[in-house]
Amino acid sequence: MSSRVEIYSAEQVKGKMPLALWWRQFQAIFRSEIKKIFLSRKSIMLYIFALNPSLLFIMLNIFNDKKKLIDAQFLNRVFSEVYEGLILRVVIFFGCSWIFINLFRAEINEKSLHYYFLTPVRREVLVVAKYFSGLFTASLLFSITTLFCLFLIYLPRGYESSMQYIFDGPGLNHILSYWGISVLGCVGYGSMFLLLGVFFRNPILPATFLYCWELISFLLPPLLKKLTIIHYLQSLTPIKLSEGPYAIVAEPVSAWVAVPSLFLLTAVVLTVACLKVRKMEISYSNE
Amino acid sequence: MAVFEQKYKPYADELTPHWSRFLVIPRYAYKEIFQSRLFLALFVSCFVYPLACMLIVYLHHNATALEMLKLPITQVIPIDLDFFYYFVVVQSTFGFFVTMFIGPTLVAKDVTNNALALYLCRPFSRFEYVLGKMATLLILLSLITWLPGILLFLLQSYLEGISWLFGNLRIIFAILVGSSIWILLLALMSQAISAWVKWRVAAMGILLGLFFIPNAMAAIIKGIFETNWGYLISTRSLMRTILADLFKHSTRIEIPVWSAWTALLVICAICLFLLFKKVKAYEVIS
Repeated sequence: MSSRVEIYSAEQVKGKMPLALWWRQFQAIFRSEIKKIFLSRKSIMLYIFALNPSLLFIMLNIFNDKKKLIDAQFLNRVFSEVYEGLILRVVIFFGCSWIFINLFRAEINEKSLHYYFLTPVRREVLVVAKYFSGLFTASLLFSITTLFCLFLIYLPRGYESSMQYIFDGPGLNHILSYWGISVLGCVGYGSMFLLLGVFFRNPILPATFLYCWELISFLLPPLLKKLTIIHYLQSLTPIKLSEGPYAIVAEPVSAWVAVPSLFLLTAVVLTVACLKVRKMEISYSNE
Repeated sequence: MAVFEQKYKPYADELTPHWSRFLVIPRYAYKEIFQSRLFLALFVSCFVYPLACMLIVYLHHNATALEMLKLPITQVIPIDLDFFYYFVVVQSTFGFFVTMFIGPTLVAKDVTNNALALYLCRPFSRFEYVLGKMATLLILLSLITWLPGILLFLLQSYLEGISWLFGNLRIIFAILVGSSIWILLLALMSQAISAWVKWRVAAMGILLGLFFIPNAMAAIIKGIFETNWGYLISTRSLMRTILADLFKHSTRIEIPVWSAWTALLVICAICLFLLFKKVKAYEVIS
């Protein structure tokens, strides 16, 4: 065995950003992170958690009155209640917190982050690759949850009736809207939790604050509502629900404002996270 | 003395009395816990509401102060069952946050560092270990739940007269039982989670999730199936029902009281089982 260090020549072009190299590094980190998130033993809990809403709809199909189950209005109301109350506010929120906080925190806890830091990879590439691997996982998982719940809602109507509702009625719009909201939820919440995981040794306390802030959004005045992610997501829902007698009603924002706002928030948050990670020094003994 | 002459010598000094050995654990735990300024701030803030309540009780019996504040007695919050009910609810919420802060690390540190053997090789049983760890929480939570509650009750009795005390003995019973059940549940749940989830952040997250997620699910079940039985999975609702029953707050009872007690007993039994399954002097790692 040779003790000589093997050095590979890197593509360094003065004045130009090595985009091809960054792309390769991004892909390598992305693949490695996806394996970690999807195939670890811890992710079983996440899968069970993501399945929770589907169990409700399975129970609904088994125990509820058959006449009600073909009533489109009833089913749409039930789905929108479950979606906003459980899928969006609980499953996506807590699921994203688990996935994105762990992107950095779990590595620090397992004392393995320095392996990444010792490789010749720009820290910014690392942050972005980790974020996108988390986003891919969360989006895939919660899209499956949303679409499976929608499938269970349409199931009792039968094939023909469902197809008619989807392609000739408002069904397709509903499906695409809810699916899009789930993905946007992962985009928005994911970036926030990544930031918390990078900045705080114990991100649960700020995450609890964020949860409470999102929970009381219906009580906030219109100006403060704009500082919550849920406000933008709720504005995109095809069926608007009453938020209760104590809610302060605010005009929902249009999709043209809501979607770019969430992407803008993500870009800003990722930039801040990149700046933090760029100067990050690991001291496992302090954790 | 040469090294080879040194032999094992058993501890010859006076031993801690058997009944109080479990208190050694909280003594050392508090030294560590109170080093955190964030926790100290949280703990101090837990006494703001009791002080405000005491002020309200005092105002009720001080005509001069009311006159100075130009506040008619009818506008001051009445001191009745509801007053004490909300006192217990608010303090229980603070108790939850205190538990979330310190509970997840109590057992986890010993399990992670394989330190259980060091405790259990001494004249210290598993039961005493669990009791000691739980006492850390129980004592702290008592200080912010039933102790200020009893003080508040005694202050009101002192100012209102002995007849009020005898007429409202139910309140003292409700404060004691309601708070005790809540802090016992918090201590058991946090210890069980702490024993099984070694990473503090994850343990805190799971504790938080266990108190928020089932509540949301129960509300959804109620919305879809038009039944309150879904609240059986929510520990917060179980406690709300029990407290409402103790304080005769019938409008807040969500499920039959017997079912709430049964569900709580089952949860406590599961937590105890999980705790004793993990707290062992040795662990076989496959």
